[in-house]
Amino acid sequence: MQGFSGKAAVAGVGMTDLSRHSGRTELQLAVEAARHAIDEAGQRPDAILGYHLGDSAPVIHVARELRIELGWHNEIYGGGTQCASILGDAAMLIDAGLARTVLVYRALNGRSGRRMNTLSLKLGEGVEEQFTHPYGLAGPVQQFALAAQRYLHHTGLTEEHLCAVVRGSRTHAVANPRALRREVEDYWASPMVASPLRRADCCQETDGACALVITSADRAPAAPRVHAVVRGGGPGASAMDRTDDVTRIFSSHVAGPLFAAAGMTPADVDVALLYDAYSWLVPRQLEDFGLCARADLAATLHDGLATVNPHGGLLSEGYVHGLNNVAEAVRQLRGDGVNQVPGAEVALCTGFGGSYGSAAILVRPGTGR
Amino acid sequence: MAFVKAGRADVITRPCPPTKRALAWHSMDPRPLPRPNALTAPYWEACRRGELTVQRCRSCGRRVHLPEPVCPHCGGTDLPYEAVSGHGRVHTFSVVHRAFLPGFAIPYVIAWIDLEEGVRAFGGIVGDIAPDDVRIGLPVRVRFDDLPGFGHIPNWRPA
Repeated sequence: MQGFSGKAAVAGVGMTDLSRHSGRTELQLAVEAARHAIDEAGQRPDAILGYHLGDSAPVIHVARELRIELGWHNEIYGGGTQCASILGDAAMLIDAGLARTVLVYRALNGRSGRRMNTLSLKLGEGVEEQFTHPYGLAGPVQQFALAAQRYLHHTGLTEEHLCAVVRGSRTHAVANPRALRREVEDYWASPMVASPLRRADCCQETDGACALVITSADRAPAAPRVHAVVRGGGPGASAMDRTDDVTRIFSSHVAGPLFAAAGMTPADVDVALLYDAYSWLVPRQLEDFGLCARADLAATLHDGLATVNPHGGLLSEGYVHGLNNVAEAVRQLRGDGVNQVPGAEVALCTGFGGSYGSAAILVRPGTGR
Repeated sequence: MAFVKAGRADVITRPCPPTKRALAWHSMDPRPLPRPNALTAPYWEACRRGELTVQRCRSCGRRVHLPEPVCPHCGGTDLPYEAVSGHGRVHTFSVVHRAFLPGFAIPYVIAWIDLEEGVRAFGGIVGDIAPDDVRIGLPVRVRFDDLPGFGHIPNWRPA
């Protein structure tokens, strides 16, 4: 059990409208989401954490706008890997007595501002781009399409199953007023971007912000608790030149440590908020987190998964760099989620960045978990 | 691992021609050129001679690719380039229909190739095969194509 387990709780979540053209600055977006989260929590933050790729509002600007007397504050340079582990960063500050209440946020104009479609994973000295750019490989979609192709080959899954993931996400999102995609469109009409990934297999480029307020469990006794958080990674999709398995993503590295830290098994998870930046990441994480055996993936995806991304996930709700999935985990444990999973007591949420990432388990208090 | 903005020192995009010849092609072919550094220059020099080479560690004897200054297997620092057969199989591929770099005619195929010698190389799948016919496991062999303004770079064609 981790030292901070059960000591911190997510007392409030807040989001702006999600759009493709906010017409607002990242600071305005961050402050609006933060105000919603603070109002919901009824607690004033004395600490702030944010993560970004040089495309968000600076922490101290947010503090000034919110008139927060700022104690501990930090900005983490990073992307999707951060969305789950930042819960651990906040819980550590609270458990250590360095902060009472931590505001966590991510704000971006991911469609109208700086888009991520030409970002690339870079490891080591970065010479790999000499060997890939001249052939036209640039950006995460193509990078993870290469992994996806091999994943389908490994598992025997087909584009039909990717279609089923997207259809499931869209079907969930119909009930989500926040979602950017709320209609179940014709998957096969979606243009191919990089085979096997169509546009519909990729998450929504989004303008918006999401914020969480995390405080000590005694200040918010009814709020979902931060139970376990892990962060890690290793060989896999982030460095395809030198790995036995290019389909390996963060989840295969962090799932074991997560359940060990949590003192739980996959059977304890009631609802899973999986980082679905691409459709194929859903079956890959279902396997890695022990939520579905490989042999059962095809049938499970075909039938749909009521307990996975019930709000539509990043594929359909929008892409606030994964933090909006964490917000939905909190709602599901409070009982006010989209397509609420009845009686959800344990939520898994994950943060992807190739073969590096993070995962967290949140629990509803008073359930003996 | 963070996503990092593309466009950095090891890849250059025209206009930034390293040779006079690049000037002539600049308006015609905006594809990014490799810019060799001390580590990779021998590799690209060999390509210009029509030879595919990869590093081999003098300490442990294992081949290393993509190039590294230090052997990832044993920590050795002497990794000269040696010629390889140029034969391999497609490990994975993608048919790209939306290019994010200039100068590429869609659709085109990118692939990681498992070389006979036990390392993995990257490149395009070219030659007498339709993009939709490329498969994992397809036997391929190297083919050097001219990248205007740079010289020969290796691609892969069905064996």
